[in-house]
Amino acid sequence: MFRKTILKLLAVVLLLPVVSCKKWLDLQPQDGLTGAEYWKTKEQVQAAVTGIYASLTGSATGSRNAAETFFLWGELRADMITSTLATTNEQVDVINVNILPTNSISNWRGIYETINYCNTVIDFAPGVLAKDATFTQAALNKAIAEAKAIRALMYFYLVRTFDQVPLKITSTSSDKDIVSLPKSSQDTVLAQVLRDLNDAETNAVTDYGDRASNKGRITKATINAIQADVYLWQEKYTECVAACDKVINTNSFGLISGTDANTWYQTLYVNGNSNESLFELQFDNQALNTFYGLFNTTQKKFLASPIVMDEIYTVDFTDPLKFDIRADGAAVRSTDQLIWKYMGLSNTTSRAAVESYAHWIMYRYADVLLMKAEAQNQLGNGQEALNIITQIRNRARALIATAANPAPTDKIAIADYILRERAREFAFEGKRWYDILRNARRNNYQRLDLLLDMIAGTVPANRQQSAIAKFKDKNCHYLPIYTYELTTNKALVQNPFYK
Amino acid sequence: MKKYLSILASAIVGLLIIFYTGSCKKIKYVESTTTDLNIYGYIKANPTKYSSITAIVDKSGYAGFLNAYGSYTMFVPTDSAVSIYLTEVNKTLSSLTEKEAQDIVKFHLLEDTLPTNTFKDGKLPTITMYGQYLVTGVVNDKGVSTILVNRQGTITAANIKTGNGLIHQIDKVLKPASKSVAELISADTRFSIFKQALQATGYYDTINTINSTVPGLRRWFTVIAETNQALADSGITSFAALKARYNNTGNPLNPLDSLNIYIKYHILPDTKYLADIVSASSHTTLAPLEVLASKLDDVKVLLNDLDFNGVHEKGVELERSTSDLSATTGVLHTALAHFAPKVRLPTAVYWDVADFPEVRKLPAVFRRGNFSFAYGAIKDITWDRTTNTMDYAYTTSSSINVYWGDYLSVPMGNTTRHNWIEFTTPIIIKGRYKVWVCYRAAKGSGTVGLPGGSNMPVQPSFDGVDLSRQFNFCEQRPNLTDGELEALGWKKYSPSTTQFMTGKFLGIIDVPTTDRHKFRLRSLPAAGTGNPSDFLDMVHFIPINQNQYLPRFNTDGSLQYF
Repeated sequence: MFRKTILKLLAVVLLLPVVSCKKWLDLQPQDGLTGAEYWKTKEQVQAAVTGIYASLTGSATGSRNAAETFFLWGELRADMITSTLATTNEQVDVINVNILPTNSISNWRGIYETINYCNTVIDFAPGVLAKDATFTQAALNKAIAEAKAIRALMYFYLVRTFDQVPLKITSTSSDKDIVSLPKSSQDTVLAQVLRDLNDAETNAVTDYGDRASNKGRITKATINAIQADVYLWQEKYTECVAACDKVINTNSFGLISGTDANTWYQTLYVNGNSNESLFELQFDNQALNTFYGLFNTTQKKFLASPIVMDEIYTVDFTDPLKFDIRADGAAVRSTDQLIWKYMGLSNTTSRAAVESYAHWIMYRYADVLLMKAEAQNQLGNGQEALNIITQIRNRARALIATAANPAPTDKIAIADYILRERAREFAFEGKRWYDILRNARRNNYQRLDLLLDMIAGTVPANRQQSAIAKFKDKNCHYLPIYTYELTTNKALVQNPFYK
Repeated sequence: MKKYLSILASAIVGLLIIFYTGSCKKIKYVESTTTDLNIYGYIKANPTKYSSITAIVDKSGYAGFLNAYGSYTMFVPTDSAVSIYLTEVNKTLSSLTEKEAQDIVKFHLLEDTLPTNTFKDGKLPTITMYGQYLVTGVVNDKGVSTILVNRQGTITAANIKTGNGLIHQIDKVLKPASKSVAELISADTRFSIFKQALQATGYYDTINTINSTVPGLRRWFTVIAETNQALADSGITSFAALKARYNNTGNPLNPLDSLNIYIKYHILPDTKYLADIVSASSHTTLAPLEVLASKLDDVKVLLNDLDFNGVHEKGVELERSTSDLSATTGVLHTALAHFAPKVRLPTAVYWDVADFPEVRKLPAVFRRGNFSFAYGAIKDITWDRTTNTMDYAYTTSSSINVYWGDYLSVPMGNTTRHNWIEFTTPIIIKGRYKVWVCYRAAKGSGTVGLPGGSNMPVQPSFDGVDLSRQFNFCEQRPNLTDGELEALGWKKYSPSTTQFMTGKFLGIIDVPTTDRHKFRLRSLPAAGTGNPSDFLDMVHFIPINQNQYLPRFNTDGSLQYF
């Protein structure tokens, strides 16, 4: 009897693991979803698209966020910022034209992460059509348009920064997708960029129904603005004007009035998502930007260069009521050269660390207008370009000291005037370096002097001659491929200047 | 039992066999902590490129330390570079002597790790083991920029990391300078007049000989030579003409002779390449107390390009292509114009301390309003407490008659106020000056002119030397005539009759060099909590033989000469 009981018990005990074995073999993660389990409903597609935007404001893997990357790439090598005692060695090396491949500022990882999110949506969203009956073809097209537009924008930044980059347009979602891609030429990448933009333009949304989405997500106008920017870079001016006109003819954008400097500053930069803006990265109190530490603490890394007030905006010494609204209290705080654009709650009051969520403006109406002016000037319509410059300057109450009167036929002088006006209009918006480079490389580097003059003033006196000589090599205008990428992707070859 | 024994025996035999065969295989122990190659190991491991330099290192006997712990930078010439060099010097690898091999290696080797991003225009921060600096720069050839070392070889592969340092591969063997600065000058016919002047004054030998081979004792010189053309532009076409113009004692060897001083003014102690020259604003010369001012104007290196009392003096440009010439005794630069120490008569400096570039940039503030400058915001004014501000103030008050209506409000004292404030003065020409501080007297508590209340004695100093007199921001001038006031060390610096407007004599100074100097105010210990608002308006440096109390400075900015 006793023995029987033991045997029964033993039998039961032996059975237990057999039953639970099944569960043990199920390897689904407890705290997440796998690809096979995802991509089933339209909400999941929507979430994946939102994830693309989220990756621009903060990386899930700890990479530098896109706004900071665009600031570093767009301003460090240009002339409007200056270093402080707290500036890191890597940042100083970039400013001094001493970039080594080990410099992590050339790390493009965050950008490729975003590209992969875009690729994932483009690859997997179509499969949802079969699984979710409420997911329409039109909704799918919209989602893909957004992904393609952002992918195009990212590649546009990459080729302007690195010249040649690997062109990955399929998602990396499993180990077998990891491939060693060699670099593609700038033309190949830009062709893909334009293809993506044209695809996206057809299906993109013009109005999401609420302002935050209209300014924080890709709209048709944003796509046209990116197209204009790409065409301008490629020196295709007719196409650029056409793209700009598409934005202008929507009649849904305008310049924010500069009658009151403080209202203008708060509308455009502090509150963001203004009528002037086309596309902004939507930082908020849950997703702070990283600018507070860069611009405002005792450990601030960058200040505005003295030339910003002395030469770019200038000061009317006789009449303090005459000032460029974009200068003191907007771009900079002239008393201590603080980069104010992302630091102010008004012309005078500063943001606290927890309030550091000024949006990063990718494109705004003034940009579209000035791109059009640049293209019109190259097409020989100098007067039209000058009219646009006047429009921009009048809005900003620019000082007479910064005005120029080039003849409408003088292409070079007008191009220089536009470049200077863009410095005033888009100070610290991550555009300066690309603006100078675009103007310098036009017509087969006809205006290399723009870069040489700039660098002569930005590097320390004892490095000036080396920096000028380096800048005469156009390969030096692009960043090196980060060492880590070279060791993990054997198909990559280091950029010429950095071998 | 027997059965057990046999099992045991066979087991032992089996085990022994296993052990024996096992130990037959030699176990490879890792004896090094890293597999990284050292500099010598690296060049030896790449015989296709570096076999010749490896042979030279072997011959020099330095292979040992190049393969040991340390931090070096070596410029490694490729095989083709070495073969070009050997053809030039008409030698072969085997006919190089040990000494020659050592010199080659030493000139390519620095005792520091210097990646290319530390290179500046001009000399590397560390000297080669040979004892001469290497010069680096970047050249652009047909659109490709490369780093040029010592104007001889370009770097073809940079920053190769090895266990004990960095390797930069170069396409030429670097050759040390063999000529002295003097020899460089005499080899160049453009310097023939300057050379004769060097010889006449005895400085030719100074810059011709290596004065010591002991590291640390060796003195280097930087010579800024004038071309014959530069001298001709100033009307000096021969050495005789130069001598006629400057030689005032008849003996050029006399250290007080003007020609002697002229030459000394062109020689700077130490090696200063152009990059070093533009990195500082002034440089001492061998001429006693004469400095050369330098600056970078766009891309030009200019000497003595100065603004004196509002007048711009055009500077002398150094020609980049013929400057930075390394020599065994220093470095040679070429000046494109004639320059000599200027005889400047001491001129009064009426220095408005409330007028500095930073406040001028604020049109809403400058002579219109108040503003507190944070620590570090003003280039030429610094103070001890980094949390304190420097308060610029403007007033239209009829009882505060400061010059231009503005002043610096500098509460000084021992608690939370400034303990000291240091100003960089405008350029003061060398000479003997009386120093006056001009302020508007005020008292936080109590009445000016009466004892008691706030008290703020201040010790001024010039270039770190205390002036003979102190002053007190709470003290007003007596009501006397100008002559009586001056005799007592006071002056009426403002046309206003109020006794608050006080100029106080601080002492006589000898300004050693025509340059900008440091003027510091230090609150005196045990002076209490000090005065909450001190109205610092001006500081006057007036040559001792000039009128000390005129002009007077009006609140509307005008000067009054009576």
